[in-house]
Amino acid sequence: MKKIFLAFAGLLFSFQMIAANDTQLVAKGNKAYMNGMFSQAIACYQDVLKRGSASAELYYNLGNAYYKTDDLPSAILYYEKAKKLHPNDADINFNLSVANNKIADKIEQVPQLFIKRWWTAVFNLFSLETLATASIVLFTLFLLLISIFLFARPIWVRKVTFWCGIGILGVSISAFVIAQRKHHALKEQKEAIVFTPAVTVKSSPDANSVDLFVVHEGAKVIILDTLATWQEIRIGNGSEGWIKAIDTRRI
Amino acid sequence: MKKYLIFGILFSILFVKLEAQEVQFVGSANSVVETGEQFRLTYTLNTEGSNFIGPAIQNFSVLAGPSQSSSSSVQYINGRVMQSSTISFTFILQAIQPGTYTLSGASVVVNGKKIQSNPVTIKVVKGNSSSPQGNSNNTPEAGANLDGNDLFLKAVPSKSNPLQGEQITVTYKLYTRVPVSLNGIDKIPSYEGFWSQDLIKDKDKYAQYNETINGQKYMVAEIRKVALFPQKGGKLLIDPLQIDIVAQLQTKKKRNSFNDPFFDNFFNDSFFGSSVQNVKKTLRSNSVTVNVKPLPAQVRPADFSGAVGSFELKPSIDRKELKANEALTLRLNISGKGNLNLIEKPNVVFPPDFEAYDPKIIDNISYTANGVSGSRTFEYLVIPRNPGEFIIKPASFSYFDLAKNTYVRLQSPQYTIKVQKGDGSEANITISSANQEDIKYLGQDIRFIRSAPFELTPVGKYFFGSDLYYLLLVLPALLFAVMIFVWKNQIKKRSDIAFMRNKKATRIATSRLKKANTYLKEAKQEAFYNEISHALWGYLSDKFNISLSELSTESVRMALQPKEVDESIITQFTDTLHHCEYARFAPGDKSTIMEQIYNEALTIITKIEHELK
Repeated sequence: MKKIFLAFAGLLFSFQMIAANDTQLVAKGNKAYMNGMFSQAIACYQDVLKRGSASAELYYNLGNAYYKTDDLPSAILYYEKAKKLHPNDADINFNLSVANNKIADKIEQVPQLFIKRWWTAVFNLFSLETLATASIVLFTLFLLLISIFLFARPIWVRKVTFWCGIGILGVSISAFVIAQRKHHALKEQKEAIVFTPAVTVKSSPDANSVDLFVVHEGAKVIILDTLATWQEIRIGNGSEGWIKAIDTRRI
Repeated sequence: MKKYLIFGILFSILFVKLEAQEVQFVGSANSVVETGEQFRLTYTLNTEGSNFIGPAIQNFSVLAGPSQSSSSSVQYINGRVMQSSTISFTFILQAIQPGTYTLSGASVVVNGKKIQSNPVTIKVVKGNSSSPQGNSNNTPEAGANLDGNDLFLKAVPSKSNPLQGEQITVTYKLYTRVPVSLNGIDKIPSYEGFWSQDLIKDKDKYAQYNETINGQKYMVAEIRKVALFPQKGGKLLIDPLQIDIVAQLQTKKKRNSFNDPFFDNFFNDSFFGSSVQNVKKTLRSNSVTVNVKPLPAQVRPADFSGAVGSFELKPSIDRKELKANEALTLRLNISGKGNLNLIEKPNVVFPPDFEAYDPKIIDNISYTANGVSGSRTFEYLVIPRNPGEFIIKPASFSYFDLAKNTYVRLQSPQYTIKVQKGDGSEANITISSANQEDIKYLGQDIRFIRSAPFELTPVGKYFFGSDLYYLLLVLPALLFAVMIFVWKNQIKKRSDIAFMRNKKATRIATSRLKKANTYLKEAKQEAFYNEISHALWGYLSDKFNISLSELSTESVRMALQPKEVDESIITQFTDTLHHCEYARFAPGDKSTIMEQIYNEALTIITKIEHELK
């Protein structure tokens, strides 16, 4: 029993150590960044990532450091990673747009149907963490209201709690569904950034096939399919084609 | 050509002197030539002559000729005047095939007399392209060759593994054991991957000294020196330099054509020394491989632009207090040794209200044999447009210091500029609604990093979908379910008790009434009334699930009314209860009253029972 306790305490302590080291590394990276040593900052941040920790802020800082060293594809990759975690962060979106303005390709986005735009807006409104917490809290609230509904005598209390409960249950389920979709999107990594300076997009997964168009480093692509070393991609304006998987890095 | 002419003149003089004006008509050419080589065939006449008829030239191709040149001279020797003139006829021939060929003599008419020259024998050997191609004075030569050890060109780098951007010099040394003269540089290397700067501008200032290699003494001339600044890392190759030189070789002569011992002796005497042969030669230096180490990238400052060496920054400003619209000059002088030409302008941030122009660059760079050094000055002219106190932020310049082997960042001080109101020659009213200015965007940059400590979570692990998440989601539901279950159970239990009491109510009441009946018969008045009262109250309490303590005539009325029991029955019930209370103390025949109350209680219970069914 004592052994178990000691082991547990040791584990807890080591966790604490890891957390402390990560924070220290981040602080070191931030300091290097402030002093203009961007390569050093990148090394620090990457160390934290290698140790298995991350956050939207870390990705954002890393993107900034890459931007300062003129490594635009990496900068965009990490901004996109940050955005995936915190879709509505003003700083992330601003810096991403600045970086995107500097890349070679200007890809016109296909206008989306209004329903899809709304869905995206709703989808991006809250982070996964918020949605997960909200679904739990709202569900608990719903249960509380139903309890009140069941026990209360006055008819108006019963009415109010019933309808509120139904509404809150609806919101809670929506939050759960959106969170599930988000979780799926985060795990799936369907988007990627082009890292090769210039890539010729082919009509089929074959080096001898027809050249369709050229994308340059920093461009964001959606991966539709994978076949051996090839990927079928779609760019923002809707054009599709095949490129080698090694030319891209997934977000 | 001129040289040969001089020799010709010299010859003619000699002939004049020695042959005492005897008519001479001599043909001469190189005795040995190579195939493809161009050579001269010259016929020289020591007097005036005409009607020159050349030899039948076969086996050679005639490239030019006969071209005629003449010279004359007047000499005073011991008071005697001697006049002489020579005419030479020259063919330029090219040997085609190896072999020995004899050209029959040419003829010329002198004073109406036809004179025949000697035949010329030429041996043609197989060509060798690298052998010296040249000519000598009129004497035929014995094919003297230059040894590679006598003459060579060497490229010597000052450092073979410099850092990127570090200055190295490559010296081209000409080692020679024979007198040479430099004809010109044939091919200058392209110095790919380097920024290059010629260090020797003045050709007369070649450094010359002696050096001994393998016991041989050489004269060394540094004919070219180049400062090189590698622009990229890795192995860089410096191509060889190619030069043309003319070497003067001293040769032992074989004079076959003249067969004149006296003539030979004269030429071998101390005045002429041994014969000198000019040999043209193309020399190539060795190529040099330089292994360039790249600069450390990890700690490179942001404003580093490739300057390597040792530098000093001397900032100066001409004034710190001025009026609006007056000009201000900020000078940043960077001096030292290194790739000064590659230094870019330091980014000086002037207050946005200042009108700043691109800096004027003044170079004072010297290229000496020691390398590139000097200074570069950036002169910024700025004009403050509005009064106020402004700050010019420190400008920085970073370079890689070779001595310290690290990056060094130099900074100018921060200047505070006080700008007074101008003399009003220009409108300086800044605060006025009429001429508001739009906000000027000076540049675009990304926003700053998040510096506050933030929470880090393991990559790829999310709260959503984790066991904890589902636990937290299911736990309240479970609690709720348990609560509902317990509650329902409670209700059920309670309803069961009420049901039982309801069921038992009539039976208990009947048994109590029976007991009352026995008390009636025994005429136990006290017990009788007690039993009747208990029977009635208990019946109600059980029937309507009201606790005994809450029972009163009012609560009975409240309980019965909702059950749609007839009002008269309720009144009767309460009356019976009242009678029961009063009868205990009422006077008269006890047994009749008891009898009456007994019947009343029985009727009312029966009636209520009936009503409730």
